Amino acid sequence: MSPTTREGGLSALPRAVVGSRLPAVLRSPTLQGFVFTAPLLLLFAAFVVYPMLSGLYAATDPDSYRAIFGDPVFRQTVSNTLWYVVVAVNVKLVLALLLSGILDYPFLSIRVLAALFLIPWAIPALPGILSFRWMLNSQWGIFNHLLTKLGFESVPWLAQHDTALAFVIIFHIWKYLPFWTIIFLAGRRAIPNELYEAAAIDGGGVVQSFFSITFPLLKSLYLICTLLSMVFTLGDFTVPWLLTGGAPGDTTHVLATLAYRYTFAMGRLEWGLSTFAVALPVTLLFIGMLMRWVKI
Amino acid sequence: MAQSRREFLKTAALGAGVAGFPAVARAQGGKIVVWWNKGYYPEEDIAMQKIVKEFEAKHKVEVDLSFTAQEDLLKKITAALIARRTPDVAFCFYNDWQVVPKYGWDDKLTDVSDVIKELKPRYNEKMLEVAYVLNNKTKKRAYYGVPIEAQTMHIHYWRDLLREAGMEDDPAKIPLKWDDYWSFWKKAQEALRKKDPAKYGKLYGIGMTESTRASDTMYNFEMALLSFNGEILDKGGKIVADQPKNKKAIVDTLKFFGDLFTSGYVPPDATNWTDGDNNAGFHSRTLVMTPNPSQSIPAAQFFNKDDAEKKNYFDNMATIEWPDGPDGKKARYLSAVKTIIIPKDSKNQAKAKDFIKFVVEKDRFFEYIKAANGRWFPAFTDVAADSFWKEGHKGPKGQKDLHVPVATKIFLERDNKVFEHYKHPALSQVYDEFAYAKAISRIITDKWPAEKAADEMIERMKAIFAQYK
Repeated sequence: MSPTTREGGLSALPRAVVGSRLPAVLRSPTLQGFVFTAPLLLLFAAFVVYPMLSGLYAATDPDSYRAIFGDPVFRQTVSNTLWYVVVAVNVKLVLALLLSGILDYPFLSIRVLAALFLIPWAIPALPGILSFRWMLNSQWGIFNHLLTKLGFESVPWLAQHDTALAFVIIFHIWKYLPFWTIIFLAGRRAIPNELYEAAAIDGGGVVQSFFSITFPLLKSLYLICTLLSMVFTLGDFTVPWLLTGGAPGDTTHVLATLAYRYTFAMGRLEWGLSTFAVALPVTLLFIGMLMRWVKI
Repeated sequence: MAQSRREFLKTAALGAGVAGFPAVARAQGGKIVVWWNKGYYPEEDIAMQKIVKEFEAKHKVEVDLSFTAQEDLLKKITAALIARRTPDVAFCFYNDWQVVPKYGWDDKLTDVSDVIKELKPRYNEKMLEVAYVLNNKTKKRAYYGVPIEAQTMHIHYWRDLLREAGMEDDPAKIPLKWDDYWSFWKKAQEALRKKDPAKYGKLYGIGMTESTRASDTMYNFEMALLSFNGEILDKGGKIVADQPKNKKAIVDTLKFFGDLFTSGYVPPDATNWTDGDNNAGFHSRTLVMTPNPSQSIPAAQFFNKDDAEKKNYFDNMATIEWPDGPDGKKARYLSAVKTIIIPKDSKNQAKAKDFIKFVVEKDRFFEYIKAANGRWFPAFTDVAADSFWKEGHKGPKGQKDLHVPVATKIFLERDNKVFEHYKHPALSQVYDEFAYAKAISRIITDKWPAEKAADEMIERMKAIFAQYK
């Protein structure tokens, strides 16, 4: 392969091939670049830029903000979303970081455990959530069955705000913990073993190695994962909607489910867009931090 | 600026309505596109398919018929109306309260007053009001839908469970006085739990839905509010919930639901139920009784393949009326009347009207509605005059039907009015927001006094009404 073709572009081709036939303006590498990327740019503009800008434009209606800020459900929803994002993401990632250490051990039993551990992530969310709903049913659920067998009172898990929101968080952690654990496992395996060997020779234990080698070297990865997970979780619709649907009393909505409710249950698309717009500065902040961190 | 934003909303909603695009595009070519609510039983869909074939043969026009489950169909219709890429005819079980008032107000529906005028002699006129809504552009009322069938409140119970509890199971002997009525089901729960704790330890006497996820809650609340003589709107559609008499009724109603729940006779998950959950609880026999705004429960038992002799339908369960009010007056009922719409952006409005008129012709419509096995009651008096509605089904051993005739009595002999969202579209939003269920939740979950919950609910309703200028 000649250097000319490796560099690509019509201008890089031998002048004898195209040069004499194209006007100078068409031989511009910039123009050629635009021509070749035009289909992608058009698709991006049509399906990303236009909807986003139009959505933002539609969400500039002050009446919509007056309406949603006047809705008591919205205020509760903002609080729920903060709880959901902060607690679910942080608990999940701390657990993932610790579990990745266990899964790093080269034992057969650990490999079997790792395979089982991946199941929640591998199964679709819907059957998982339905199973949770069934287990949490106050009349027939296994949780209450066990509680009553042990002599405790039944708990209406999904029929009271605190426990319902707690189980939204628990399900999220259960479902997505394996994914982030695997990410951290990959990060751990990229750490040279020599560092641990040197630490061991110097008398460093497991805890010291973790805080002096593993965590400092995984710090960047951990922060990137935190930001990514926060962005994903902030927009999560599936788990809260299918597990509680906002009940009881519309107290367990998060921004994504409330926007859906405004749009489709109430036919108020502009309210739904405004709800998303409220979360947008936070999402953009996360994305900005992320881009700065990974130097995109 | 507001106009531009609307323009965008139309475009943006295209994405959500994308599922209907191919069919909608074909509509431009002369076909009629019909979006129809998927029936609860296959027989309903088969009956509609037959009607469509007959229409195609008679009118030499192709009909693109699709069936969609009600929750999805509502979203599809909403997106289509906003995007102005609509079918020619749409029938969804939620049209009456979530589409007609709002989109009639927004001038997005076709005025079908001419169709109604033609059909008027056949109508049960009480049911017509549901589609007579205000258009904010013309500032006039008109018919923006064609009502076809209705549902109202019934209460179903297991007779065999009452027998097992040693209680009276004959529907004629169930007490109908307000306090006695509710106490009766509480006693049934206590008796069954006492008799066999292992089997009935988790059985509940009353399957009352009290959730923000179920339209049944709205129905239950409004029925109880009528029992307590409360009104939300006056005749002109002005909100009167804050008038002392009505506010007292709202507080009493909220107290009723709160007490029922906290006293332990309603399943704790009832605050998280969807519309199907009380049905499921009843069918699984963990509820002695449940109020349900349609005949879906007995109809499901009628089609129960595991019960070839239809013992459950004819012998083990019965349908009874809502109790008399605390003041001793006979119960007043509410009907939800299901309505067909023609979007204003339909390109085939004339054919769409022909199609609707064809569907509701007496014999044809009777065949269709009977396929639902009494779940719906016809809005047309000639169809309702059929002996099926008075007598129902005959049991294999000659048993009487204890379900369909009760519904007919409620529709024809009781004080029965349609839901009042036709008076003002804001009431439709009150329902959308499940304002009643939220107030109940304040009492049950947040332990608020009923007065405080009522104040919050009334303020919210007033704020919603103020948005409609």
